[in-house]
Amino acid sequence: MAEETLLKHADTHEHEGHEPFMPADEFESNSPMKVSYGKMMMWYFLLSDAFTFSAFLITYGALRVSNKWWPDPNHVFNAMPFMGHKQIPLGFVSIMTFILILSSVFVVLAVIEGHRMNKKGVLLWMLGGIAGGAAFLGCQAWEWSHLISEGLRPFFNPFVPDAQGMTHLAKSIVDPETGRRVLEMTGNMVTDAHGHKFQLGEGFGKFGGVGAFGALFFGITGFHGFHVFTGVLLNVWGFFATLSGKFEKVGHYEMIEKLGLYWHFVDLVWVFVFLAFYLL
Amino acid sequence: MSRGHVPSDAEYKSQVSAVWKATFWMGLITIVEVVIALIWMKYLTDYPRIILNSFFIVASATKAFFIIGEFMHLKYEKRALMISMAVPLIFLVWAIIAFSWEGGAWHHMRGY
Repeated sequence: MAEETLLKHADTHEHEGHEPFMPADEFESNSPMKVSYGKMMMWYFLLSDAFTFSAFLITYGALRVSNKWWPDPNHVFNAMPFMGHKQIPLGFVSIMTFILILSSVFVVLAVIEGHRMNKKGVLLWMLGGIAGGAAFLGCQAWEWSHLISEGLRPFFNPFVPDAQGMTHLAKSIVDPETGRRVLEMTGNMVTDAHGHKFQLGEGFGKFGGVGAFGALFFGITGFHGFHVFTGVLLNVWGFFATLSGKFEKVGHYEMIEKLGLYWHFVDLVWVFVFLAFYLL
Repeated sequence: MSRGHVPSDAEYKSQVSAVWKATFWMGLITIVEVVIALIWMKYLTDYPRIILNSFFIVASATKAFFIIGEFMHLKYEKRALMISMAVPLIFLVWAIIAFSWEGGAWHHMRGY
């Protein structure tokens, strides 16, 4: 039977020139996984992307346990926009997590409306998903610029321990001779961001805390943010393609499903970035 | 969900309610995670941190199952697709064990 189908399509292929060898619907009904080619390939792409992110996060874990001391996330990530110097540990990242989860929910609802061929529903929920993604990116931009203003760089980390191992944000300056960013030190005493002096923990010098902290933070959250950015662009495309009636004409909203898969994956990765950087 | 299958009203209702249920649980887990982190920071810092970290890992894995199963719809796909996604991830178990071990070895080499 399969042979017959193949032959039949080989025929049409010859006659019409641009007919695909096996139409997508037939691929789906012949596939043991009962999914279309496009959806299956999206799953495999996401699997490969999962390995990329896992490699980053596992590297983070290995470097973190290999160091004697690591900055306390409750101290590093405790700022909130419009709250001045009030310290709210985990507050802002929790809001970011909720924004991303909600955005993911909106896209699921768009997919469900797509099954019912409800164009208006798809448009509405896609818009919600896009807004959530954009809001998340805005939050991340704020968080990055805040940490950069505190002196964190990919190769310099101003979060250092005192003699008891407590995390402090130290004041850093650019050394005029070498052009390198260093801690402002007098003897073994360092000034923190509020002007208080404290004794630097053993094993740490003017080059600050573990340098890899900044590189890992900017690298991993940046790579995730790049995925969010790409997802927002793809969702915007999906929105306008829906608006133009493209999927109505094709007869199904499967493209929205594929965009949804990518978007939920971005949310999934954030769960683990949140775990590795902010909770553990 | 195969292409071209239009769900009935009852199916639609149960799908939407399943999504909101998953959202509720994921939101609740996140709130509990943050609250426990804050309580730990204030009152329980003397206890071994591994208790807290184990809770965080279990909670995050639960959230991951909700996202993959419900939002990405894998719960409702054919078993062949589930297995072909899950089996390669076994390598990650090995990678996590191997690199934690290696990180510990670097820790000792540095003389801590």
